[in-house]
Amino acid sequence: MRLLALRSRLKWCFLGSLAITGPLWLAGCWLNGPQSTFDVKGPVARSQLNVFMVTVYVTTVIFVVVGAVLAYATWKFYCRSSADQPAEPRPQGHGNPLVEISLVSASVFCLILIALPTLKNIWYTYDVPEDQRANAYEITATGYQWWFKFEYPQEPITGVGPLVTGNELIIPAGRPVRINLRTVDVIHSFWVPKLAGKVDMIPNRANHLWLEADEPGYFYGQCAEFCGDSHAIMRFRVIALPAQEFAAWIVGQKLPARVVTPAGADAPQKPEAAQVRLANYPLADASSGDALSASPAFDAEPLTGWREKQIPSPAAEDPALIAEGRHLFQQKTCIACHTIRGHEGVGVTGPELTHVGSRTTIAAGSLENTPRRMRDWITNPNRFKPGNKMYNGGYTDPATGQRLINLTDGEITAIVAYLQSLK
Amino acid sequence: MTTLPVKPFLLFRRPTARTGLIAWLTTVDHKKIGVMYGLFALSFFLLGGVEALVIRTQLIVPNNHLISAHFYSELFTMHGTTMIFLAVMPLNSAFFNLLVPLQIGARDVAFPRLNAFSLWIFVAGAVILNVGWFIKAGAPAAGWFGYAPLTSKTYTPDISADLWTVGLQVLGLSSIVGSLNFITTIINLRAPGMTMMRLPVFCWMALITSFLLILALPSIAIALIEVIFDRHFGTSFFEVSNGGQPILWQHLFWIFGHPEVYILILPAMGYVSEILPTFSGKPLFGYPIVVFSGALIGFIGFGVWSHHMFTTGMGTVATSAFALATMAIAVPTGVKIFNWIGTLWGGQLRLRTPMMFALGFLWLFMMGGFSGIMHSAAPADSQQHNSYFVVAHFHYVLIGGATFGLLAAMHYWFPKFFGRLVDEFWGKVSFWTIFVGFNATFFPMHFLGLNGMPRRTWTYDSNMGWNGANFVSTMGAYLLGVGVLIYVVTLLWSYFKGRAAGPDPWDARTLEWSIPSPPPVYNFAAIPMVHARDAWWYEKHHPEETAREQTAHVREEAAHGGIHLPDQSWYPLASAGSLLVAGLFFAVSNYPAAIGAVVVMVAAIYLWSLEGPGGYHLHPEGAAGSGLAGAPEPGSGHENSSSPS
Repeated sequence: MRLLALRSRLKWCFLGSLAITGPLWLAGCWLNGPQSTFDVKGPVARSQLNVFMVTVYVTTVIFVVVGAVLAYATWKFYCRSSADQPAEPRPQGHGNPLVEISLVSASVFCLILIALPTLKNIWYTYDVPEDQRANAYEITATGYQWWFKFEYPQEPITGVGPLVTGNELIIPAGRPVRINLRTVDVIHSFWVPKLAGKVDMIPNRANHLWLEADEPGYFYGQCAEFCGDSHAIMRFRVIALPAQEFAAWIVGQKLPARVVTPAGADAPQKPEAAQVRLANYPLADASSGDALSASPAFDAEPLTGWREKQIPSPAAEDPALIAEGRHLFQQKTCIACHTIRGHEGVGVTGPELTHVGSRTTIAAGSLENTPRRMRDWITNPNRFKPGNKMYNGGYTDPATGQRLINLTDGEITAIVAYLQSLK
Repeated sequence: MTTLPVKPFLLFRRPTARTGLIAWLTTVDHKKIGVMYGLFALSFFLLGGVEALVIRTQLIVPNNHLISAHFYSELFTMHGTTMIFLAVMPLNSAFFNLLVPLQIGARDVAFPRLNAFSLWIFVAGAVILNVGWFIKAGAPAAGWFGYAPLTSKTYTPDISADLWTVGLQVLGLSSIVGSLNFITTIINLRAPGMTMMRLPVFCWMALITSFLLILALPSIAIALIEVIFDRHFGTSFFEVSNGGQPILWQHLFWIFGHPEVYILILPAMGYVSEILPTFSGKPLFGYPIVVFSGALIGFIGFGVWSHHMFTTGMGTVATSAFALATMAIAVPTGVKIFNWIGTLWGGQLRLRTPMMFALGFLWLFMMGGFSGIMHSAAPADSQQHNSYFVVAHFHYVLIGGATFGLLAAMHYWFPKFFGRLVDEFWGKVSFWTIFVGFNATFFPMHFLGLNGMPRRTWTYDSNMGWNGANFVSTMGAYLLGVGVLIYVVTLLWSYFKGRAAGPDPWDARTLEWSIPSPPPVYNFAAIPMVHARDAWWYEKHHPEETAREQTAHVREEAAHGGIHLPDQSWYPLASAGSLLVAGLFFAVSNYPAAIGAVVVMVAAIYLWSLEGPGGYHLHPEGAAGSGLAGAPEPGSGHENSSSPS
C-alpha cells in the first residue's frame, strides 16, 4: 500500500516536473531562431521583452491559482458513481457578493501591475529619448511589393541624391537609429525582432520607429503586414557595424559601381568553363533541407560572412564575361528598372544594384547571394517570389501572357558574373 | 385548410405542406429555420476546416511548393471569412432560433417570415462569397480583414474583391434582420413571470449579441460601401494617389471587428452558463454579475478596437488609452470565469460529454484570455502583432472558446431537437481527440510567434528555427480534423440510432426541457407561468402548483380559439433569391441586370406585406401540465390575424 502511494507520488512528481520543465525545454529549442523576440540585441526590443515578461509572470500566477481552484473543484465535486449523488439536490445558492468583490479587486490589482510598465514603455519605444536625439542617425525605409528600399538622407551623393541601398540595411552599432517608414504601394510593416517591434508602413501616413543595436551584428527582418501573394518573401537584413567600419562602408557605398578592367589579349579565356560550372548547379528544392537564404557556415558567423562579401576577388573574375554581362544588362532592358550608379542602369522601380555583389542576400533576403542562387533567381524569379514585377511585367506581359524577354543559360551566366563583380 | 378570402394579386398561394422540400423552403417555424441554419453552418465549418488543413499541410516543411502563393492567400482569406461569417455566427444564429423562444416560453419568434428571410439571405451571402472558387478570378485573396489598398482595383483587378465586399454586405444584412427579430422576441414575447432578471443567461447573451450586431455592422457596412464605390464608381476613399486614407478602413473595420469578437464569444458564454449549472446540479453562481459583466463586455468592446492597430503609429496617447481599455475588459471576462468555477463549487458534477466540452472551454478560454492580456501591453504587442502568437491567441479564444461552447451546445441540445441522445462513449472520444489535437496545433504557435514567424506567410526558410513547431502544429491539426470528424459522425449516427431521449434527459433547469423532444410545432401546449430563475427546475419541484396554473392557461387560451401559429410563405425565399441574383450581377458590374433583380426583390417584399401574416389555430389533445405530446391538428381553423410578422 505504502509502496503504491509512494509510486503514485513519484508519478505526480515526475508529471509535475515535466509540466514545469516542458515549456522551458521548448523555450530552449523553439525560441532561438534569428528572428527570436527573446534573444534581444537592443534597448527597444529589450524594453518590449521586459513588458512581455511582466505579463507572463502576472498571468502565470493567476493561471496557477485559478487553474488549481478549477482543477480542485472538478476533482472534489465530481460524482464518480451514482452512489455519490445525494438524494437531495445540493443547496441552490445564487452567489456571494463578498467573493465577487474581492476577486474583482484582485483582478484590477493584477492589471495595474501590467499597466504601469506598459505606459512607461509606450513612451520609451515611441521615439528616440530626448537626451540622445542629437546623436540619432536617420534612415528612410520604403516598402515595395515585395522588397525594401533604404535611403540615407545624411549621406548625399553629389548630383545624385541620398545614398540608396536595397534589402540590406547597414546601421552604426551603439547609436540610436531613427527610421522613417514609407510605402509606394500597399501597407507593409518593418520588423527586426531582435532590435525592435514592428511599425507599419502605411500609404499617405508618415510613420517612424527607432532602434539601436548594442553590439555589431547581423539581424534578420521581415515584412509583418500581409501585402499580397509574396508577403512571405519580403524579407531583409540589418547589419550593425562599429562606428569606424560604418564610416568606411559609407565611403565605399558612395563610390559608383566597380569597373573590372579587361585583361590583356594573352589572358586565358574561360567563359565555357564558367558556363558549365553554373549550369550544373541543381535548383534548390524543399527535399534538400537546405536553407535558401544562408548556408550553415554563413549562419554560424554571419557578420564575418558579410565582411568577406565586401572584398572583390579579381583572381576569380573573368573580365570578358563580366563585360558581356554588362552589355546584356543594358540590351535585355534590365537597366529600365535597376539603377547601377556609374554604369548604364537608371531605373528606380526595382532595387538599386550599384553594389549588389557585396550583399549577402538577393531577392529580398530570401536567397543567399551566390552565383548559383543568383542564376536560379534570374532564370525563374516567379518560382521564388510569385507575382514579382521582374517576371510579371518584365519577362512577360501580364495582360497577354506574352514573353517579352528571353535569356539563354549563357546570357544568364554572363549577367550573374557582372552582378557578382559589383562589390 | 381553406384558402384565403379574396386578396390582391399575390403570385404565390400560401403553402400548406407540413413535410417535404416545400415545407422546409417556406417554413416560418423557428425550429426548422434553426436546424437549417445549423446544417448550412456545419457544412461551412467543415469546408473551413478543410481549408485550414491545406494551409497546415503547406507549412509542414520549410520552402514547400505544394500549393501556389496565390492559392494560399485565397485559402487563409476564405478560412477566416468562412469560419467567422459562415460557421460560428450562423451556428450561434441556429441556437438563437432553436432556443430563445423555448427558453422564454414563446411559440415562435416575433417576426417568423423575417426570420426565414434572414436565413435565406445568409445562404445568398455565403454563395456570393464562395462562388469565386469556381470562376477564373478565383476566391477573395486579400485577407478576411481586407486592408485597403490591397482591395483596390490596382492591386486586385479581378472580381474576387467584389464578391467579397458584396457577399459580406449581404451577410451583414442577414445578421441585422435576425438581430432585430431576436431583440423584439426577447423583450416582447417572454412568458408571464419571466422577468428580465429571470431570463436564462443564454437569452441574455443572445440579447447582448444582437445589440452588438446592430450597432457594429453599420460600421463595416459603410466601409464596404466605400470600397464598392472606389472599385465601381471611381471614388477615392482609399485611393492613395487621390489622397485617400487606407488607415480609415482599419478604423472602420475594427470598430466592427472587435465587437465581432464578442459577437462570436458571448453566445458561447451563454451555452456554458446553461450547461455548467445543469451538470453541477446548482444554479449559476452570481447570475446578476454574469449578466452584467456580459453587458459590460459588450459595452467596453466598442472602445478597444484600436488594439488591433497598435503598430499603425497612432501616437503615445491613443495607444495608452486603448491599452488601458483593453486591460479593463479583462475584468468582466475574468469575473465570468470566477463565477463559473463558483458554480462548480459545492455541486455534484456529472462529467457527461457536454460538461467535458464546457470544462474544456473554461481551460482554453482562460489561456486565450491570458494571451489577450499580453497583447494589451502595447510595447509587447508590437513584437507579437501579426505574428503566429496572435494566431495562437485568437484560436484559443475562437476554437477553445467559441467553438468548444458550440460543440458542448450541439451535444447538449441534440436530444431536445432530434429526440435521441448522442452516443456518450464516442462523444468522450471526440472530446479528447479534439482537446489534444487543438492544443498540439495551437500551443506551438505561441513559440512560433515569439520566435519571429509572421502570419499569413505562404512559406518560410529552413534556418529560422520554425521547422519543429510547424511540424508539430500540422500533426496536431490532422488530429484535430480527425476529432471533428468523429464528433460529426457520432452526431449523424446518433440521429438514426441514438438512444431515445425523454423530455429532460439531463435533469436540466430551463423551460425547453419541460416539453417533449423533439418539441411539437407549437412548442408549449400551455404557456408556462415563470416563478423563478431556473423556471423548469422550479416547476419540477412544485408540480401541483404548475399543473394548476397550466390547466388555467389552457382553458383561457381555448376560449380565445386555441393555439395560434403563423402561416408559411414563399416570399422570404423569393426576395432572398432575387437579392442573390442582384448581388452576383452587381459584382460583375452588370448594373442593369442588378437593378432588375432589385426591382424583383422590392416587388417580392411588397407582395409579402400584402400577403399578411395569416395563421391558423391548433387544439392539442390533453393540453394540461408538462410533458404532454398531443398530436397537432393542422388547419383546424384559418384566419387573417392582424398581428405583425
